[in-house]
Amino acid sequence: MGNSISDGLPPPSVPRSRKASDSRTEAAAVADIAPAIEAEQEISDEKLLIAVGNSKDRQAFDQLFKRFAKRIFAMGMKLTRNEQLSNDLVQEAMLTVWQKAPLYDLDRGTAQSWIFTLTRNRCFDMLRKLKRQPSTVNADDIWPQEGEHDGNMVHEEQGSQEVEIAQIEAYYEQLPDAQREVVEQIYIHDRTHEEAAEHLQIPLGTLKSRLRLAVGKLRHLIGIEQ
Amino acid sequence: MTDKRALHPTETMLEEFATGNLSTGKCVAIAAHVELCAECRQRTSEIEAQATLAWLAETGSDSTESSSDYASLVDSIVAQPQFSDADEFAEQDAASPVREIHMHERSITLPSVLARIASDGLVWKKLAGGINQASVMLDDETQCEFLYMKPGSQVPVHKHQGNEITLVLDGSFSDAMGNYGPSDFVVRTPSHTHQPASDEGCLCFAVLDSPLTFTKGLARLFNPVNRYRFKRATSQRV
Ligand SMILES: [Zn+2]
Repeated sequence: MGNSISDGLPPPSVPRSRKASDSRTEAAAVADIAPAIEAEQEISDEKLLIAVGNSKDRQAFDQLFKRFAKRIFAMGMKLTRNEQLSNDLVQEAMLTVWQKAPLYDLDRGTAQSWIFTLTRNRCFDMLRKLKRQPSTVNADDIWPQEGEHDGNMVHEEQGSQEVEIAQIEAYYEQLPDAQREVVEQIYIHDRTHEEAAEHLQIPLGTLKSRLRLAVGKLRHLIGIEQ
Repeated sequence: MTDKRALHPTETMLEEFATGNLSTGKCVAIAAHVELCAECRQRTSEIEAQATLAWLAETGSDSTESSSDYASLVDSIVAQPQFSDADEFAEQDAASPVREIHMHERSITLPSVLARIASDGLVWKKLAGGINQASVMLDDETQCEFLYMKPGSQVPVHKHQGNEITLVLDGSFSDAMGNYGPSDFVVRTPSHTHQPASDEGCLCFAVLDSPLTFTKGLARLFNPVNRYRFKRATSQRV
């Protein structure tokens, strides 16, 4: 069954790396994705969402659309009992999936849960608009996504120069693995956020939140010990 | 007498909150409590995870078939820009609300959802018994208001036709059933008749299902006004 389906599809889009030399993880990523093309159900929703967020992968978005359109429609029918509104909800929720995919954070929950809460929020706002309720608050104020409002914290840099490099290394060793590999990508291999996320095969949103935690922790440690 | 869990939203309320199945006024009160209460924040994300699984189970895994309709919808979506850059957030930050509110020389930090609401400007009115009230219109089903009780103030005895939620933001108040401080989520049902009082002063956010009815003495004179207040606070904007 795999053949007849995949024959009609354009070549799979695999996240591209700017450096051909990062072969180990790269090969692993390709190996992970390639067989999954034949058995579509096996690519996790998280992987699809990461491909959408990190490299605007249209085919991955297509897959997510196929998997979630009916579910979103069903949630719409349950909450609004109106077919037209439910169709509008599919459109609005999937647009938000596309727009916010780069903010998805693996460390905060599954892709399904992310899409569920995002659909709930769009539906809530649609109903409020329909009932002409005042726009004093919207769903994103009521159910804030942590990290959406502090995305630029990482950029303000300039740590104090007096700290010994060796000392920083010692602190760096104390970071949890997930945070350390992110710091390594950005500060040692000097990659951009996008490159690092692609290399580690994690969502940009996760990369940014881990980096934020790691930098915060390092600063804290340095601050205390000085 | 009040067990500690009583001063949080009930499990049912958190479920309705997590699934978006509640009036805006109540959602706001719960969201503000959840921001102040780690326990309920944790519980809310667990409920969201459970609700997600229930949603997936209800709707099965059959996927949408390709159709030209759907292909052109996907086309129009992927033509849109994605959110990712700091610029997006810079704008949001610029519009981020003032978090502090000043009440009689006290500076009180509001939960962000209430700060958003208060940033539109609160109009305070004096009520009987040393109470100040600022109504905000959030939906058609509830009357929502910030209430500030001056030190030594007392609300006239009243009962409710519907539920009343009171979230304490600063200071404390007490009634026959207990004493309540910051982040406490107090629910009163139609069966309660109560008379809240505050020694040290108290700022609350309150959500009412239906008008209060004062039950005693001259305070009854307030009844028509109360009804009017409720009607006005819940009337639709044109
Ligand atoms: Zn709580």
